[in-house]
Amino acid sequence: MNTLALFNPFSGRRLAFLGLVWLGFILICALAAPLLAPFDPLAIAPVDRLSEPGGSYWFGTDNFGRDTLSRCIYGARMALIIGLGTVAVSLTAGSLIGMLSAYFTRLGHVLMRVIDVLMAFPALLLALVLMTLLERSVANTIIVIGIVYTTTTARILFGMTLKLKNEVFVEAAVCSGAGHCSVLFRHILPNLISPLLVQASFIFAFAQLQAAALDFLGLGLPPEIPSWGNMLSESRIYVTRAPWLLIFPGILIIFSVFSMNLVGDALRDSIDPRFKDDIAGV
Amino acid sequence: MLAYAIKRIFVLIPTLLAASLLVFVFIHLIPGDPAAVLLGDTATPEEVAQLTREMGLDKPLYTQFVLWLGNFLQGDLGTSIFFQEPVLSVIADGAETSILLAVMTMFWIVIFGVPIGVVSATRHGTWIDQLSSGGAMFAASIPTFWLGLYLILIFSVTLGWLPSSGFPSLSDEGGLTNLRYLLLPSLTLAAPNAALIIRLVRASMLDVQREDHVRTARAKGLHPLRVAYAHVFRNALIAVAAAFGFTFAALVSEAVVTETVFSLPGVGRLVVQSILRRDYPVIQGVILVIVILYMITNLLVDLAYAWLDPRVSLK
Amino acid sequence: MALLEVRNLCIAVGSGGALLPVVEDVSFTVEAGRTLGIVGESGCGKSLTSLAIMGLLEGSQVRITGGEIRFAGRELTKLPAAERRAIMGDQMAMIFQEPMTSLNPVYRIGDQIVEVLRQHRSMSRRDALVRAAELLALVRIPGPAERLKSYPHQLSGGMRQRVMIAMAIACDPSLLIADEPTTALDVTVQAQILDLLADLQARTGMAVVLISHDLGVIAETCQTIAVMYRGRIVESASAAGLFAAPRHPYTSGLMASIPDADADCETLPAIAGRVPRIDERIGGCAFHPRCPRAASRCAIEPPATATYPEDHVVLCHFPEEAAP
Repeated sequence: MNTLALFNPFSGRRLAFLGLVWLGFILICALAAPLLAPFDPLAIAPVDRLSEPGGSYWFGTDNFGRDTLSRCIYGARMALIIGLGTVAVSLTAGSLIGMLSAYFTRLGHVLMRVIDVLMAFPALLLALVLMTLLERSVANTIIVIGIVYTTTTARILFGMTLKLKNEVFVEAAVCSGAGHCSVLFRHILPNLISPLLVQASFIFAFAQLQAAALDFLGLGLPPEIPSWGNMLSESRIYVTRAPWLLIFPGILIIFSVFSMNLVGDALRDSIDPRFKDDIAGV
Repeated sequence: MLAYAIKRIFVLIPTLLAASLLVFVFIHLIPGDPAAVLLGDTATPEEVAQLTREMGLDKPLYTQFVLWLGNFLQGDLGTSIFFQEPVLSVIADGAETSILLAVMTMFWIVIFGVPIGVVSATRHGTWIDQLSSGGAMFAASIPTFWLGLYLILIFSVTLGWLPSSGFPSLSDEGGLTNLRYLLLPSLTLAAPNAALIIRLVRASMLDVQREDHVRTARAKGLHPLRVAYAHVFRNALIAVAAAFGFTFAALVSEAVVTETVFSLPGVGRLVVQSILRRDYPVIQGVILVIVILYMITNLLVDLAYAWLDPRVSLK
Repeated sequence: MALLEVRNLCIAVGSGGALLPVVEDVSFTVEAGRTLGIVGESGCGKSLTSLAIMGLLEGSQVRITGGEIRFAGRELTKLPAAERRAIMGDQMAMIFQEPMTSLNPVYRIGDQIVEVLRQHRSMSRRDALVRAAELLALVRIPGPAERLKSYPHQLSGGMRQRVMIAMAIACDPSLLIADEPTTALDVTVQAQILDLLADLQARTGMAVVLISHDLGVIAETCQTIAVMYRGRIVESASAAGLFAAPRHPYTSGLMASIPDADADCETLPAIAGRVPRIDERIGGCAFHPRCPRAASRCAIEPPATATYPEDHVVLCHFPEEAAP
């Protein structure tokens, strides 16, 4: 019932609904990138380098003469992969750590200390330190940003599970002889699905910004991959000559993050009020 | 209060030790031999081996850690491989820029964030509220470096009003007017954080506004502004204070990016450059210093929290 | 002239076109120094009525849609906000149901009492603190001078309600509105607070509007009683008249559900049915679905008021005529 209620939150919120529409548009770009992109995003055309928007290059070209529009469309694919990947990593690891820590008190003492230590590092700094260990790749970027948000997710889930643990229905399940696994995953977890969904939407949004920042610092995705962050990073030297290189990927990032935040905000207002304050969004 | 602070510091020590161990281990897992990196492609294996020995990189890891930690406690963070200078003085070189940047940023955050949040909450549901809280969420959705680049494009390149990069020290020629170099960076850095504070002030004031004691205050016949200030805002401050620790972390993260965009000679850019140069001692030193600062901030936030909320006991 | 005169007060919830009436056509008067009790189930509109009198509806989704509230000869609903505030906390004060949350947790209670004193009286802070200590003594808080320095969380619920009362009577109001002042308290403390209120009233000569869902509480303290159901006053009379001869079936039901020490507990009668939701539309008399005496007419035609001797007013098609 709680999960179903998640579909109404957009009724009174035009802006959040527009956000949803925008995200749908990005999703279509990501899925149908090969069909939509007019050029190969990696194809170099030295003659056409730094062409202004117009003609056959709607969004102009970059310093290698690559088509900005096509790279933007393929960039949506990267954004989706990074976002979903980060959400998958951080929600899985974070909810496991958080729930187990709250449920098994002794284990919790150890695990939550580890989380505390990791949280002593500001988010991007932790990502930077981790990235120095690893090769620049899509998977590693996801893992690194995923670890950063695993800490916050674990902390949140820890708090929420503690609240639920003392609820009558959980005690009843324990009394009726349900095993630990059953209590955790059949009785506690279902109550946390909606707050997790909200958390997921915020992580998705934050992950875009973190990934873009890593790209910009030269410690994110490999430079040849057409991600919005990489496009911005490469274009900074040409800012004065080719401002369109800054505008299009920038707008795509901003609108996508903004939409995701709007959606998360709308969802948060529709979940169990007990958990509302646990989730820190924008 | 003092006893509580001291007690809290003792509690922080294990976390700090664990964090330093983590930093130390991380850095030593990095692929690439620092001695080889430092000497460049032309170095012979003998030269590399000699430098490795000199730097103590051949000793077992735990010995290196104990030595490093011992030195750290004496204020010796090692020597930068790149600068061939003590790490502490390398960090100190960047400190002026970073501290000034942080202070200016905090100034903007408080100047913009708090009043807009208050207005948004007191005009809850009106177009002013929707504009400011929606605008704040939008601002928080802009990548820091993009905003920085755009401000450079507008105010430095097109209008030519402000410098686009670098920061001469206040003690250099120009004195206080050199702060104009930090105007764009601090505004860039403040935007997403002020946005968070706006949202937070608004949300916590709306929460407080619903509480019973606000009705009591109104029943006293107080002026609405007095109710908003002395009862709603004052109580909302408790939640806002708690968020300033979080803001510090966000500030540090984004300062790394901002200092890179504006080529500021600060600690943030030092982190990135040291990572790219594989300058282990500097990375370790800077990160540990930041972690310590973060912990101190959180301690101060806790103290402020207890000071603002008499229900919190410092026991 | 009565101190407080409420005429045909109507209150509605909602914004724009969708207004949902929650209080309809409520009228009563309170003479100086007297006590009026308003009784009814939760959601019957009694709290909203009291908030409307006090002037605390402003800013919420609830607003007055009609009627008059005359206090000491002035029409409150048409008063400019500043003049309205000059009355609030001064000539008219209010205490609330939740003593645990009605005080601001971050200020010392002395400062909270001083705030209202300095709002309405030109007093120095020091004089105000002296007066605050006297007020705490007046509401029988032991060690008043030290208590001034306490924070609300250091006091029990009963103590906090005493502080609320001290704050309310700080400026010698001529009217005190008490909205369920004892509901959240232990039974023993309840009696003490009611006792204190009666004592203060005798001492200061203020009028009291006491709002409660508990007819027992009302019976003990009030000279006149108004019974509310679904936003309307269904019966009002002197306390003696009402208890001697309740004429509205709802009042009879309420009285029957007061546990009597002598009666057999197992046969405690209750009003049949459930309290209807506020947005349910009920034609005719609002009470007819639960009324033991309802006839077909009750579902169609809204009842008119019937007036009996001694200002006994009933809103019913079939009021109980003769005293038992």
